[in-house]
Amino acid sequence: MASLSWRQFRAMLKKDIVMELRTKEMLMSMGLYSLLTMVVYFVALSQAGSAFDPRDIAAGLLWLAFIFTSMLGLNRSLVHEKDQGCLEALLLSPVDRPVIFFGKVTGNLIFLLAVEALTIPVFAFLFLQGETVEVSSLAFVPLVLLAGSIGIAGVGTLLATMSVNTSGKDFILAVLFIPLAYPLLLGTVTATGAAIVGGPDAMHAFWAGMAWVLGYDVIMLLASYGLYEFIVGA
Amino acid sequence: MKLASTRALVALVLGGVLTLGAFLGTFFWAGVPDFGFVRVAGHTDSVRYQGPFEQKIDEARYLANYVGYEAEIEADGESYAGRVVEADESRVVVGTDTGDAGAPKDTIAVADITSAVVRGSEYGRPDWGQKIFYFHVPVAEISFLVFALAAFYGIRFIMTRKREFDTRARISMEVTLTFVSLTMMTGILWTRAAWGVWWEWEPRLTTYFIMTLLVIGYFVLRNAVEDEERRALYAAAFSILAFIDAPISFFITRLIPSNHPVIERGGLEPPMLVSFIVAQIGMILLGYAIYQLRMGETMLKDRIEHAKTLLER
Repeated sequence: MASLSWRQFRAMLKKDIVMELRTKEMLMSMGLYSLLTMVVYFVALSQAGSAFDPRDIAAGLLWLAFIFTSMLGLNRSLVHEKDQGCLEALLLSPVDRPVIFFGKVTGNLIFLLAVEALTIPVFAFLFLQGETVEVSSLAFVPLVLLAGSIGIAGVGTLLATMSVNTSGKDFILAVLFIPLAYPLLLGTVTATGAAIVGGPDAMHAFWAGMAWVLGYDVIMLLASYGLYEFIVGA
Repeated sequence: MKLASTRALVALVLGGVLTLGAFLGTFFWAGVPDFGFVRVAGHTDSVRYQGPFEQKIDEARYLANYVGYEAEIEADGESYAGRVVEADESRVVVGTDTGDAGAPKDTIAVADITSAVVRGSEYGRPDWGQKIFYFHVPVAEISFLVFALAAFYGIRFIMTRKREFDTRARISMEVTLTFVSLTMMTGILWTRAAWGVWWEWEPRLTTYFIMTLLVIGYFVLRNAVEDEERRALYAAAFSILAFIDAPISFFITRLIPSNHPVIERGGLEPPMLVSFIVAQIGMILLGYAIYQLRMGETMLKDRIEHAKTLLER
């Protein structure tokens, strides 16, 4: 049976990826959105001149971009499912609900990571040129990205499933998602900031942040997994 | 039905009396703690008198802050004693008696001063702001409690799918919103009085603010869903997810260094402790009363709706 769930999971994931590769709607909109965010950052920071160290605010700016971009993507991914009746078909098919949940979460996670991988070099190119960064601790950034994105995708998928059935979809998702993601953001920004700035205490701060993120991931993924079954069928 | 509303009214009155009584009573028997102290030159009788103070001045120019105080000054190997008559950045005038115009005075250049000691009296500054503790803390505690109740009824609804539990969860959340708003309001007043700012991004304040947003989000979500059963399910699921923030907010002052005060075990004097406990009991009764009254109102509304539909047939 385990292999059957695994095959179903892979089929769901493949469906999401194929659909995305055909339309490229999510990646395009999320990627463009994050680029536009960089422009807004530039305007917002233009008055500060060189009075601040860009490395200190880099983590906050990056996660700000990720959180808003992810909301856009999460909404898109579920709106597709609903508008084309795909979600109903999935529910009718003999697929376990947890498999649907983890399929959607993994799909969203992959797109989110893709956009993050695209955003970071652009951000570094635009804002961190000529800054000295600690390469040894910088290698830990992908770890935070992965852990943080798992949390975003897990809670976000559940909330987006709820918000597509409400009036005012995007707004509802933002109202529900941002406060719920607050503990996660606190941890990811701490850990990413420590990894970018470096220094003797960097690893301590990094793992303190990671502990928050991992704890959040475990609790929220379990809660979302438990609740998804009831939400998706409603 | 009738019994429940009678109980609710009794709880409302009793809770009001206890909360208000505990709050006002603390002014009489719990005393007002000191919030720092005030230093003055002369001794004036006051219940807040704490005793004489003596302080060594690190930099001579600070003597400008001590006009009228007794001072002992060493300058250029000579020592001067008396009251500070005049002082500015460059010179200090010390006299034996400030009241007598003809009394001898010594003028000392600030640059020459090697050491200076000033003396005066200290008075406690009453911390009236602390009194809000007997209202703010019980309200905050009950807000966590009703939030837990809302999440509990959310779980019950998901398990049983009975409409009653959704109503109970919604009304618990309404009570939570009331108490959370009261906590925020009293908290903001207190931070202004004690910290000098209206708001600070401090762990407890931040997590509690997030909790407020989650409670508001709950109602935004409810209003955005048309279908009744779906609305109930979504609301229940969200209340369970949202409740995860409550323990974080509750324990964060003990986890992360925070400016927000914490009650330590055995940290309250008996009169304060008794007032605090009475206020807590009163607040629980008030919360119960608000919940029951709203519940009774909703049930009556449902009965009227039911009767209407029966009549229309």
